[in-house]
Amino acid sequence: MPDDVLALFRTRLGLEEVPPEGPFVPPETLPDIVAALKEMGFLLFLYCAATHWPATENRPEAFTVAYGLRRPGPGSSTARLRVRIPADGSIPTLSGLFAGADWQEREQYDLVGIHFEGHPDLRRLMLPEDWEGHPLRKDYAIDTHHFPWR
Amino acid sequence: MVDAHPSHEPVAPALVEVSGLSLPAAITHLPRPDPYLNVEDYEPEADAMALNMGPQHPSTHGVLRLKLFLDGEICFKAVPYVGYLHRGVEKLLENRTAIQSVPYVDKNDYVSPLTGELALVMAYEALLDVEPPPRAQVLRTILMELQRIASHHLWLGTFCLDMGGALGGGSSVFLYNFRERELILDLLEALTGQRMHYNALMVGGNRHDVPPGWEEKVLATMDRVEDRLAEYEAMTVDNHIFRSRTVGVGVLDPLLALEAGAGGANLRASGVDHDLRRDAPYAAYGQVDVRIPVETAGDCYARFLVRIAEMREAIRIVRLLVSGIPEGPIGALKPPRHVNAVKLPPGEVYVGIESPRGELGTYLISDGSPIPVRVKIRPPSLHAVSLLPYLCVGATVSDIVVILGSLDPILGEVDR
Amino acid sequence: MAVDETSRTFVHPLYGWLEKIPGLSVGLTTADAVLSWGLEHSLWVFPMATSCCGIEFMATMTSRFDMDQFGTFTRPTPRQCDVMVVAGTITVKMAPRVKRLWDMMPEPRWCVAMGSCAISGDFYRNLYAVVPGVDTFIPVDVYVPGCPPAPDHVHAGMHVLMEKIRQVRKGTFRPNADPAAREGLLRPSIPRIGDPDRDPALSRAQAEAAFRMDPGCQVTPRSEDERDVP
Repeated sequence: MPDDVLALFRTRLGLEEVPPEGPFVPPETLPDIVAALKEMGFLLFLYCAATHWPATENRPEAFTVAYGLRRPGPGSSTARLRVRIPADGSIPTLSGLFAGADWQEREQYDLVGIHFEGHPDLRRLMLPEDWEGHPLRKDYAIDTHHFPWR
Repeated sequence: MVDAHPSHEPVAPALVEVSGLSLPAAITHLPRPDPYLNVEDYEPEADAMALNMGPQHPSTHGVLRLKLFLDGEICFKAVPYVGYLHRGVEKLLENRTAIQSVPYVDKNDYVSPLTGELALVMAYEALLDVEPPPRAQVLRTILMELQRIASHHLWLGTFCLDMGGALGGGSSVFLYNFRERELILDLLEALTGQRMHYNALMVGGNRHDVPPGWEEKVLATMDRVEDRLAEYEAMTVDNHIFRSRTVGVGVLDPLLALEAGAGGANLRASGVDHDLRRDAPYAAYGQVDVRIPVETAGDCYARFLVRIAEMREAIRIVRLLVSGIPEGPIGALKPPRHVNAVKLPPGEVYVGIESPRGELGTYLISDGSPIPVRVKIRPPSLHAVSLLPYLCVGATVSDIVVILGSLDPILGEVDR
Repeated sequence: MAVDETSRTFVHPLYGWLEKIPGLSVGLTTADAVLSWGLEHSLWVFPMATSCCGIEFMATMTSRFDMDQFGTFTRPTPRQCDVMVVAGTITVKMAPRVKRLWDMMPEPRWCVAMGSCAISGDFYRNLYAVVPGVDTFIPVDVYVPGCPPAPDHVHAGMHVLMEKIRQVRKGTFRPNADPAAREGLLRPSIPRIGDPDRDPALSRAQAEAAFRMDPGCQVTPRSEDERDVP
């Protein structure tokens, strides 16, 4: 990540060391930090990827959501950050800042079951509207049946 | 080359500075339609009507469904529905090892399978910190550019097919384009043994070395493809109907394109000078000086011009590289003997490459077991389709077909 | 075989007319031979192209492989077509649409499953969203294997279909698939049409699901004796 992004993360989050895969950002400050990155020229929305972490003996069930932005043009660079939320938590939407976040968030809602607060149209994107469950959760069996088609 | 259309004459357009980028002023900050317009609130001038297009429709390029709300013939709201080809690739990759996963990503973007492979394989290589040998890097670059030519051929053919009989007998451009695409497929078949779904790459290198005489065949094919490009231009750029159906249709604001995550020719036709092959070089793109064609009109015609220029550029890159493929091995790792041969370290990587449709990325989390915890494929086509609610508003139904074709979405990649 | 051949009827109005005129009934076989020839050399195809196989099917239609020389031609509407070529993966979301489009096609109609996804679901077969083969809800006449099949394989498949039509019309067709021979294969999660252990309620549920798909659409279900709704 470029130096100006590292400086932003250090000042806003009070971090000493910023890991290369992106710092963990508190969910409530996510829109502010992403808006600041957008001001700095990170205009291209790359990805929003949610991961389900099932409960183990060491930690309760949780989700992480990773975001990536890109500064276009010669010498292009990326800015990456992550958000950790508990199993019943939600996360503010970025669809007001980036039009591309709209469908990516709908996809994560559909497949992982993350609730994005303030999203204008949080419907399933990939699966039929009447589908039960979220397939990318670790406790969802890959060969789940769906009568009468499979 | 014929004269450019008056609206595409090479005059320097007025530029506006936005966050360090110089964007064409005429199309930047265009008014954005509301994709969540309440249909009840809209007061139509003519009869209001809802029209369903797809999911089985010859010009939706696969299984896309569009719900169009029309005011007379003008669309005032468009709602795309995707997911009719959702094959759960991300769930499958979370249950497969690095060696097993490559054939799955072939089928995502089935028009350019090799770029899908490269995006996944490079993510695993970044995680493992493996650098493929120079011969593999150069071969990969040649394969990517050949694939780009084939992909743009298919795009041009289907784009002109969408415009129908306007182009001198319906499907002639389509038939001509498939003739040249077959030449490229023959080259790839000689190398990998498959016409599509090559499974040509693996972690650490390539799976196939070049057969004897392949380089000469590539050069001969490039000559022929370049000759034929002039023919297509005669059939399209010279065609008054083609121009009147594409010029000024579906103008895309570069800021909207960036924020929506669009890429490739869609972005460059709106005046954004961005291409990962030059800006963040991977494989052997650092060794060649990649020239990036940029247009500033932002309409369907500009996207067409960018793709034609990209085909010429790809031919140039292939010619440069194919005559000097370095000697050496084609893989950095030993050929795997079983599916668990590649041990993944814990980590989290994101790798993006420039596919014919834009930035194709792979985001990978591993916890140290042989299979990854999470694989997220960042599809450029998804972001292209998500532009439709903005671009379709104010267009007629016939224009919507052209706009959809000019964005070049592949539904296998949208739905995964 | 997935298709029940005994219920597949094709009555041309010419036959009734020929039978009424004394002496002309001997012309029936000749007329039938001519009509069969016409039928098998004018197969209009409805490409149910969902994914990669659709691209190869497009290539089959272009000048290098030239399917037109056999009178095979693609039409984008099911109402005008004889053959549905299912080219690509069928998902749970798409399956009701495929079933609906198949029901829109007029008899006589045939189905070609092109590619391993349409045959069995390929390596997506065990996935939550993928239908394990199109013959779990549509009777399939010819299977063209491959991922994707090369255009010449599609040619061969269409020739097999022509041969099958010829034999069925002459009454010499003998299904050669022995259910016992398939026992070694991996069974899909739901039985195929024609499998002895298939529950008739499943076919009915599939037909109902397809008709329920879009409440605004006025399509009445076919009669009870429709062969794929037993």
